[in-house]
Amino acid sequence: MRPSFLPRRRWWLLFLLCVSIARADQALVAHPEVVKRELSLNTARLMFSMQMPQWPNGAPVRVFVLPDDHQRHRDFAKNLLNLYPRQLRRVWDRQLYSGTGQPPETVSSEAEMRQKVAATPGAVGYLSREEIDDSVQVLSIR
Amino acid sequence: MIRFKSSVFVERVMRRIRVIAAALLCALPLEGVAAGFGNDLQIHGFVTQGYVNTSDNNFFGDSEDGSFDFTEIGVNASYKVTPSILVSGQVLSRRAGEMDDGAPSIDFALVDWNVFSDEHLAWGFKIGRVKNPLGLYNDTRDVAFTRPSIFLPEQIYFDRVRDLLHSSDSVHVYARRYSDFGTWDFDFGVGVGTVDKNVEIAFLSRDFGGELDTDGLAYVGRIGFETADGVWRFALSGAHVGLAFDGVATDPLGDGDIEVGFLAASAQYNAERWSLTAEYIEEPVEFSDFGTPLDVNDATAQGYYLQGSYLLRNDLELLVRYAEGFAEKDDRSGAERSALTGGRAPRHSFFGKDWMLGVRWDVTPSFMLRAEYQWNTGTRNLSLRENPNPMAAEKDWEMFSLLGSYRF
Repeated sequence: MRPSFLPRRRWWLLFLLCVSIARADQALVAHPEVVKRELSLNTARLMFSMQMPQWPNGAPVRVFVLPDDHQRHRDFAKNLLNLYPRQLRRVWDRQLYSGTGQPPETVSSEAEMRQKVAATPGAVGYLSREEIDDSVQVLSIR
Repeated sequence: MIRFKSSVFVERVMRRIRVIAAALLCALPLEGVAAGFGNDLQIHGFVTQGYVNTSDNNFFGDSEDGSFDFTEIGVNASYKVTPSILVSGQVLSRRAGEMDDGAPSIDFALVDWNVFSDEHLAWGFKIGRVKNPLGLYNDTRDVAFTRPSIFLPEQIYFDRVRDLLHSSDSVHVYARRYSDFGTWDFDFGVGVGTVDKNVEIAFLSRDFGGELDTDGLAYVGRIGFETADGVWRFALSGAHVGLAFDGVATDPLGDGDIEVGFLAASAQYNAERWSLTAEYIEEPVEFSDFGTPLDVNDATAQGYYLQGSYLLRNDLELLVRYAEGFAEKDDRSGAERSALTGGRAPRHSFFGKDWMLGVRWDVTPSFMLRAEYQWNTGTRNLSLRENPNPMAAEKDWEMFSLLGSYRF
């Protein structure tokens, strides 16, 4: 049976809603004392590709990530940074094995991510919305 | 280009580099502790074991019978003294058939001083033993995880003369310009190259009593551009190295010089599940003062490849590549080069063409397995050290290889 025009349109609305929820499902988080409230997409990419070693006030940037094959890591890279996880790994490897940089610290779970970001001055990481509490602050990507 | 024949000058420059590097190494940790940064030591490493089986000819060992003579073990330490100063080094043990015996060597050891960086611009210096920034892969060529295949395309990243363009004890200045559109990347270095026996055998056809060593300063540079989303990458890179042969009385050839240039153009396109990579090189080689027959051997070598990869699953990648390389770009059949040797080296020893199919399985993010099959025409990519008689090397040969690599 051919569906009528209206339900089909609703299907699209539902689909779009799901996509936007998926995109907003996680956020970039930082140590509560970080003074920035938002980052440009470019700055966020530079931080997570370990090419932005300092905050504007000179404090070191500390980057925490989940393992490459963790779904949260994939979603963060793809949806918030618009990069594939492989591209991040390629940049980290090039820096590490040519002596020009250090890879970010890998944590094993979101709970550990929250705890490390909350406890490390200058830290950035990412968490799913339901894992975020007052111990970290959310930075928006513009 | 200015060339310094005097090794005294080079010695003086190198001594100065070493003094500066030593001073930085001594002074920096104190500053770091004082500034309260002290917990930034990282140790990483990798262990890679390969297996090679060829239908004919020797590649990385006695491969006709199956060879395990391909092992890479690296340990890498880096210490972030301040947010902008990184001291790092890597020790590498590499076994590669007759070409490398696994004796540990310093792969790189450098101070990276990031003088300035913000979201628009970063620049700084690298001082010490620095891997040459050539093509897309030379700076990390010994780390299996960063290679697209078990062996890098030999027509561009020759293993038989690996050390010639591998690294230099040098000073580099680098800059990166960031924009919403992408990143420009500049890296220029000047210093002294590292040369081993393989280089002498590749250029002079055997290991003589005398020594072939670097002469004067080596120059290397790369200009790259990468779109902000990492989808497109382009690079132009080049190097110039001078070599001098200092013979002994029993050597049948006199002292002479060899000038080697290297120019590479690279491009890569990365989609979510597949990528395409192409690189092209020319390598002009100029012999002088040896007298005939060596001095008439001047040539411009050429190499290129096109490579495609497809991600079947997140942990499973398929790879296909076609590559060609020639000892002299205007003598693709090798006829003229072969005639120069009086027929002692066959035509097919002056070119190498191959098709390759491969698969990579990332069992975990830190453990990887690979399998590849390669169909070769021509023997130019083989080492004379492993195949001493060029007439005995088979023109058409096939290669099956396996590799496992673990990193931490």
